[in-house]
Amino acid sequence: MRISFNNRFFSRETWTAVGFLLPLVGFVVIFILLPVLGTLTDSFFLDVTYRPKRFLGADNFIWLFNDPGFGRALRFTALFVLVSVPLEVILGLIMALVLNERLPLRGLMRAAVLVPWAIPAVVSGRIFELIYNYSYGAANYVLRTLHLTQGPVNWLGSEIGAFLALVAADSWKTTPFAAIILLAGLSAIPADLYRQAQVDRATFIQRFFKITLPLLKAVLIVVLLFRTIEALRVFDLIFVLTGGGPGGATTSVSLFGYNYFSAGDFGYGSTASVILFIMAFGLSLGLVKLGRVEQGVMP
Amino acid sequence: MNEDAFKKAIIFTAAAATILFCLAPFGYMILTGFSRYPDFFSPQTPWVATLSNYRAVMFSESLHFTAFLRNSIIVSAASAVISVFFASLAAYAITRLALPGKLLFMFLILAMSMFPPVSLVGYLFKLMTALGWINTYPALIFPYVAWTLPLSLWILVSYFSRIPRDLDRAGLIDGCSRLQILFKIIFPVAAPGIFATLLLAFIFAFNEFLFALMLTTDRAARTIPVGIALFEGLHGQIPWGEIMAAATLATLPVVALALIFQRRIIQGLTRGAVKG
Repeated sequence: MRISFNNRFFSRETWTAVGFLLPLVGFVVIFILLPVLGTLTDSFFLDVTYRPKRFLGADNFIWLFNDPGFGRALRFTALFVLVSVPLEVILGLIMALVLNERLPLRGLMRAAVLVPWAIPAVVSGRIFELIYNYSYGAANYVLRTLHLTQGPVNWLGSEIGAFLALVAADSWKTTPFAAIILLAGLSAIPADLYRQAQVDRATFIQRFFKITLPLLKAVLIVVLLFRTIEALRVFDLIFVLTGGGPGGATTSVSLFGYNYFSAGDFGYGSTASVILFIMAFGLSLGLVKLGRVEQGVMP
Repeated sequence: MNEDAFKKAIIFTAAAATILFCLAPFGYMILTGFSRYPDFFSPQTPWVATLSNYRAVMFSESLHFTAFLRNSIIVSAASAVISVFFASLAAYAITRLALPGKLLFMFLILAMSMFPPVSLVGYLFKLMTALGWINTYPALIFPYVAWTLPLSLWILVSYFSRIPRDLDRAGLIDGCSRLQILFKIIFPVAAPGIFATLLLAFIFAFNEFLFALMLTTDRAARTIPVGIALFEGLHGQIPWGEIMAAATLATLPVVALALIFQRRIIQGLTRGAVKG
């Protein structure tokens, strides 16, 4: 259908369309865009509850970059993303490959995969808090039964233990999401290709690297993008499982910002949040460029 | 043949590992909720069945568990319905009406969901305080609607774009308005997709934590994830049995929905992400 541009720029139909978009745009502008801009503005102010608001220029940013606590949060968050995202995507790919096979328990497996995805991150945090319990948690029970360690491990009491505990708990919760999306990508690969490969006597490994991986590239990048964005903002799990400890070793940038907000310091908390969303945007743009995701994600 | 048998063995092992990996922590939660002694993994402690944890969670006034659960269900259901309604209006306009810059619009909306929640929550707290909405349902429902709209829009656009346009044309010829076409023709045909989107939006709202933590203060509006995160014992000892009973009850609605409507959920989740 051609739009007529005779005396108005917008046709009647276009005005109807604008009307249909209005409620959505209103909600998104008022409850996402304005808050983000508000946060950006606040980052240039001293804005503490019960104290007069005062413009600071870039002082918050200068303090933030000289704040060892923030440096630590930044390093922890980067390390968490670098370790957990590849781990989850690789595990998710293995799960998806298994789910794609014709197995007797396929239905049960697909249901099982949805369970960790569906439960709140807070609940998974509490389950893992009990699993890692020093004296009666399941993790130390397994280690003791299999005689893998001399004594019980103080998971949440050491920096490296707490880090690994968080990565494991996060992988449990989010690997299924990667698996579900990758499975959809796998089932979109034409079966003819595999049949042809079988005729050519290609091995399992060859088929994986020559057919599966190249055709799955677009979906893999989408999953990487989603997982990276979510891992960067990690909050719920850490709040429950370690509270950012021991000694601030597992405080993510989100938790760092929240701690200032909940103490009433909106200026400094906003500054940390601004750095986080700049990182999220930068990484997203990079990943989108890397894979020209548009072709992969458009319906 | 030998390679085949080897491959089969690997796949079966991986399948068993997948099921164990996904269900073991979940099973541990349920087991602990029904256990008289939460430390049943220590050497001399037996596992003894009891319902006392559930009784405590359901009936003890001071825990406010039922209030939290009610808040969660009301807030999530309202958010999901409003979000899907507005998203379907927008999805109709995008798939059916003459509109310049549709693709750009879709990506701008998607970009909105890339902002980390912590970069909104400080401002939202001040906004809700100014409105006097702190610790009320609207303080959560409005941000949740906005937060789930991009997801709802993307899924619905993919469903709506598969519905033949001839249906619209027939409606137009019969003199229906655009709204009538959406309600009387598109909605019934797209019902499975709309239902899937509702479920996903509900689950996302039900599981949300940071906004709920910051924008509510007590049982008048506090939701289940916050209740469970802040669940501590009165006398120093963490009441693991009760926490796990509460966690099981809180998880039940979402897990049941996810399992009953497995196919639709997976379809909805993947529609937004994979071209297919």
